[in-house]
Amino acid sequence: MSTPALRLQSLRKVFTTHDGPLPAVDGIDVEIAQGEIVAFLGPNGAGKTTTLDIVLGLTDPTSGVVEVLGKPPRAAVNAGQVSAVLQSGGLLRDLRVDETVRAIAALNGATDRVDDAMRRAGIAGLAHRKVGACSGGEQQRLRFALALLPDPQLLVLDEPTAGMDAAARRDFWETMRTETHHGRTVLFATHYLEEAQAYAPHTILLDRGKVVADGPTDELRNLVGDRRVTATLPDDEVDTALEKLRGVAGVRQVWQEGARVVVTGTSSDDVARLLLTTLRGRDLEVGAPSLESAFFALTQEVEKS
Amino acid sequence: MNLTYLRIDLVRQLRDVANVAFVVGLPVAMYIIFGSTFGAGGESAGNGNVRFYVMTSMAVYGASVATTSVAGMAAIELMQGWGRQLGLTRMRPTGYVATKVVVALTVAGGGVTAVYVAGALTGARADTPWVWVSTFLIAWLGSALFAMYGLAVAQTFKSESAVSVAAAGLVLLAFFGNLFVTLSGTMLEVARFTPMYGYAGLMRYPLTEGTTVGGSDDSLPMLILNYVVWAVVFATVAVWATRRGRNRL
Repeated sequence: MSTPALRLQSLRKVFTTHDGPLPAVDGIDVEIAQGEIVAFLGPNGAGKTTTLDIVLGLTDPTSGVVEVLGKPPRAAVNAGQVSAVLQSGGLLRDLRVDETVRAIAALNGATDRVDDAMRRAGIAGLAHRKVGACSGGEQQRLRFALALLPDPQLLVLDEPTAGMDAAARRDFWETMRTETHHGRTVLFATHYLEEAQAYAPHTILLDRGKVVADGPTDELRNLVGDRRVTATLPDDEVDTALEKLRGVAGVRQVWQEGARVVVTGTSSDDVARLLLTTLRGRDLEVGAPSLESAFFALTQEVEKS
Repeated sequence: MNLTYLRIDLVRQLRDVANVAFVVGLPVAMYIIFGSTFGAGGESAGNGNVRFYVMTSMAVYGASVATTSVAGMAAIELMQGWGRQLGLTRMRPTGYVATKVVVALTVAGGGVTAVYVAGALTGARADTPWVWVSTFLIAWLGSALFAMYGLAVAQTFKSESAVSVAAAGLVLLAFFGNLFVTLSGTMLEVARFTPMYGYAGLMRYPLTEGTTVGGSDDSLPMLILNYVVWAVVFATVAVWATRRGRNRL
């Protein structure tokens, strides 16, 4: 069996604050296989950035085990096996784009990869521009170029699209997708649920320093399992139809939105059958549950327990 | 230390026009103004002339501005996240410090050299070449004290403008360091305890051998004590402020 790209065991990090000790990471166990694309999903303050800092050797854990490709983080960084796109900040505004890349390349012993990294990150055309004059999206591409310099096996992205507009976000992920085809392991933190859904087959849900859920992204969605079924019904039969729909086992809510009825629940197949046959419904749509609803359901469960 | 990184960082510093103007332009201009005001007749001052005395004073001022701003901005750039970026490379903190020391000394050396060249061209004279060499070296290397000052301010206030204010505040310290006008009486007594006094006095020692223009004498141990005490104070504040900032959200 090959070495996992990342192994965290009973990881804890406690910060000292004015109000006493604050566990930012409170006992995390995670294992990520090589070649996986994994999302760290959680609200602000869930411990995502702190965990990633520990993975990158920027912070030492208070206790617990962290192994990056079987090594301590620092050794993996020195070997160029792990690199990261860090959250905003981290660039010198008065350096030019090409100077920034060359400076970091020199420190990584990767001067021969400068042109390649810039081209792949899509910033070859910005080479002579001052970093301070670049847009947020362009600066993020520059950070991405810096992360590609050591040709890492594990690429860590800490909220890589925070502050980007929708178009820049899509472009960024497009670039990322081509880069991750070559067996790179990617771990990204995000609080955009759609990003986890769209790009990560494996999602780890974090909340208040703990892992709330860990598994295939599709399964996480099914954990809550609700689907949403909508259809248009003949005007005169709406009220009786609503009654019948409420009677189906597994239906959680039924309501009317204009000419359409909306049904949520776990028994979407039964609801659809009923709508299309007895109730003479038209334009039927069945939607998958959003990760958002899964997320709230799961974090609330933790709160109750 | 990585030479490519060093070169890029140096070029970046030299591109900063405002910085170069304050480190090189201002001291040279002040030397020319003060030097010709006070030393036009070639009056002597210890083992040299008044122009030489003014030249060395301005060199000390320029070197201090250089090390304060380089060290202060280094601390700021680390805080603003560049340190995290560097943390993802093979560069160790010692390598970063070494690089910044070389950058600060290069910029400070440039400032001191510019003033000394201006002095040599406009009639600054010393009795022996030794006075030129020794004052140059002390003015240059002694400015390390103000690297610690810049660091202490940056770590305490954590903002770019604080570093700018610290560099601007050197005018006041330089005034008390007996660099701009010759102090006497109570002012001189107070000035002896300020941070630039020991450094400037040590630099000037080969020239004046401790005699101040204001009339009283500075002993070599007192000047060294002043320098060492302030170095300890700045270093302690820098370390304390750095620790305070760590392990906290």
